[in-house]
Amino acid sequence: MLDPLKASLQIAGAGLDAQSTRLRIISQNIANSQSTASVAGGDPYARQTVSFDSVFDRATGADLVRVKSIGVDETPFKMELDPGNPAADAQGYVKTPNVDLLIELADMREANRTYEANLQVAKQSADMMNQTVSLLKEA
Amino acid sequence: MSAIYLDELASQRTQWLNLRQSLIAANVSNANTPGFAAKDLPPFATVLARTQIAMTATDPGHIAPTPADYAPPQPADEDGANATLSGNSVNIEGEMTKLGETGRDANTVNAIKKIYHQMMLSALK
Repeated sequence: MLDPLKASLQIAGAGLDAQSTRLRIISQNIANSQSTASVAGGDPYARQTVSFDSVFDRATGADLVRVKSIGVDETPFKMELDPGNPAADAQGYVKTPNVDLLIELADMREANRTYEANLQVAKQSADMMNQTVSLLKEA
Repeated sequence: MSAIYLDELASQRTQWLNLRQSLIAANVSNANTPGFAAKDLPPFATVLARTQIAMTATDPGHIAPTPADYAPPQPADEDGANATLSGNSVNIEGEMTKLGETGRDANTVNAIKKIYHQMMLSALK
């Protein structure tokens, strides 16, 4: 097994990576929360989801996190009556994305918090390494 | 340098702290992974209890002392009492508390090592 402190830096790095991917998907969802289809009656932007998976890394001997898959939310689209919209169907209804801003914002908060926690772990691991090095320095 | 036990004790403690740090890192980074069980080490006291201090042979007629068998602590799953619906049992606040503990303990051990080293040096000079 690798030095545990080095390993924890790598693990925290994997966590930062996974959370930033999550944040990217969230921003994509929020940015596209009003994106309707370009053809009449077509499907609008479908909300994307991220799922995580823990993988055992042989080199570090620890459980790293990675993004398992980026999926599509199957929730039905919302229908809005807007006959003037180019994406409106024959009855005048427009399909709007199944993105709920409240859910996205809550998810963003959580991603932010987990990112911070990972950053804290990385900081402290580096700090502990430095302490050990400074023992040698002052001797 | 097994005659002076403090060195070995301090390094075992450091080893334990480093290992715990990497487990905390794994728990925090998997805080949103479905089905992930949080892991932790048994307390250092139990690790210490399994380690005996070896006697030093001062005469060839003495029975050779068995070296202190230091078994590296094995990580175990924490109790999944606070597991969420997705089967994840990581409590991020708890992990941050443990992180603080580890940092403080590492500080303490390093300070002790430093002072011990100074003592050795002042005896030599």
